[in-house]
Amino acid sequence: MDQSPETFRGMVERHQARVFSIAFRILGETGVAEEVAQDVFLELHRNLGRIENDEHVAAWLRRVACHRATDALRRRAARGDAAAEEYQDGMALRPVVRDLAPVMNRVEQLLLTLPPSQRAVMLLRYQEDLEPENIAVELKMPLATVRSYLQRGVKMLRAKAERTLKEYSRG
Amino acid sequence: MVERIDDFERELKEKLRVRPAPVGFADRVMARVPARRTWSWKWLGMPAWRWAVVTLLVAGMVVGGVEREREQRVAGERAREQVLLALRITGSTLRDVQQKVNTGGQVKFSQKGAGRTVLEKDEQ
Repeated sequence: MDQSPETFRGMVERHQARVFSIAFRILGETGVAEEVAQDVFLELHRNLGRIENDEHVAAWLRRVACHRATDALRRRAARGDAAAEEYQDGMALRPVVRDLAPVMNRVEQLLLTLPPSQRAVMLLRYQEDLEPENIAVELKMPLATVRSYLQRGVKMLRAKAERTLKEYSRG
Repeated sequence: MVERIDDFERELKEKLRVRPAPVGFADRVMARVPARRTWSWKWLGMPAWRWAVVTLLVAGMVVGGVEREREQRVAGERAREQVLLALRITGSTLRDVQQKVNTGGQVKFSQKGAGRTVLEKDEQ
């Protein structure tokens, strides 16, 4: 593939929203998400020689963005950052997640309550509109795991959405 | 397999649409891309003293290489001459021995002069 700066810039402009959205929705923070998204593009630049076409670029970026964002989340968790681990099956969203309200919509906030790898699967399904078979290939996961993550993810989000709605209406 | 999508999943799709990247994102990525090193004609435009230093270094390496090769050749020739001399001496000694043996005299070796083996005939 052409490795000129102009071509690479074109790639960044075409795919920046997708990569940033994945990083942002897995990490829940604009600053860290931008940092991770930039790193993903720099990694793409280093690997341009192995990329075949634009479709391959999109798949490569999705996969690497999911992995790098999840890695960043784990590093944050290892440092003991409370914001990183919001994904227990709790009754309500923790304050730290509620603080994101001005930037994130309700679904995005609820998504942060899922385990990171499940977030990635949900994003590829509902943001990127990929079929479970393609998600399994891109994330190198068994198809059964992908289906199970999707089923459980939707169920958990639905339950949490209903709960937060009730809490909200109770005032 | 087509899966049924309910209202909640539709809402998920709606709310999880791709977000725009922050303004200036592409510029910031491009600023971090390492510049590729390419050969440039600018190298030819370096000052004369640099060219002189480069020329002297290259000339020094060439002259040094040639001189070393010459020294090795001279040493090789000297060694060859010594080997040939030794062979000549050995040959002449063997010829003398052969001669004495043929004439039936006793032959004894003695060291005379500068390390040369000399044959002496015992006239008994």
